Amino acid sequence: MKRFILVAAIAWFNLAAGAQTNTTGTLPVSPRLTLISSDQGDFDLAGHEAIYRGHVRVDDPQMKLTCEQLIADVPQGGGHVNHIVAETNVVIDFIDNKGQTNHATGDKAVYVYSEQGGVTNETVTLTGNPQMENAQSTLTGDPIVWDRQNNHLSATNQKMILRQNLSGLAAGTNAPPPEKTNLPPGPVENTDTNVK
Amino acid sequence: MKVAANIGPVLLVAAVTVLSVVALDLRAQQTGHATDFTTTEYWEPPHQQKIKSVLSGAEAQPQPGGLLIIKELQLRTFALDGKPEMIVTAPECIYDTLAGTANSAGPLQLQTGDGKYRVSGEGFLWRQTNQLLTISNQVRTVAQYGPNKH
Repeated sequence: MKRFILVAAIAWFNLAAGAQTNTTGTLPVSPRLTLISSDQGDFDLAGHEAIYRGHVRVDDPQMKLTCEQLIADVPQGGGHVNHIVAETNVVIDFIDNKGQTNHATGDKAVYVYSEQGGVTNETVTLTGNPQMENAQSTLTGDPIVWDRQNNHLSATNQKMILRQNLSGLAAGTNAPPPEKTNLPPGPVENTDTNVK
Repeated sequence: MKVAANIGPVLLVAAVTVLSVVALDLRAQQTGHATDFTTTEYWEPPHQQKIKSVLSGAEAQPQPGGLLIIKELQLRTFALDGKPEMIVTAPECIYDTLAGTANSAGPLQLQTGDGKYRVSGEGFLWRQTNQLLTISNQVRTVAQYGPNKH
């Protein structure tokens, strides 16, 4: 049997999970457990939609998401989960493909997945005072769009704050300054176009 | 996302089937008290020899107002190839044959036939007309993806 609509929310984990699949077949890969919890859940069995409400929490080995409401639309026929919306006080803590911890916040996060003509599009759009932060930098802008397929991050009206490690300077050493640009998970650029 | 691609929406359909079967079977049971009952539904022709679902319960007790109390409800659905699809269990629920709803303040558990996806909660209401299942409290989903341990 195919799986449950509830599992739609797993897509969130995959946003940050990166490739954990054993492609060589030489090492055993343990099954991964994902936990979704909420105060309430509405499952529209006709409309193919699952709505988690109240203290929604998604826990995965590589990502944690909290919000007040999570809606997952699931296509008929066993296709890919293509649309997930997390709303209200969205907080995502994830590990990017560099192994770096990131912290993202916003009022709303929309995950969209589509396949057309052999081309896969997979994005996460953060809106509502969104912010992405890691040890090196903080990025703000609205929206912040994370192109998962191309590992590309963009923001409209972006503002980025870089943090320098000044410990070497304080010690009076001649150590080279730390690298300043290390924004996960890809290049950051200004975009003037609105994101749907 | 590859895993998510495979886990799909079909459970929705399965769940609809499950709940519809519950409703139909419960209607059949409402005329009298039954214990340790089991009802079996078969697939439509030309697969009428294959089991589609099995509904069982420790007790089915008719109540005034078209209500039916079901205890130790278990519903199992099967694919055409005989593989188990979904298992729904609830210690007790009240089925309103007039309103077409089923509810309970107690726990509900759903899981796929392979056991990889399990949902539980406390208190539920199922509305047959719009096929809406509400789990009222402590909704918890555990999803396993990746290879099986065995």
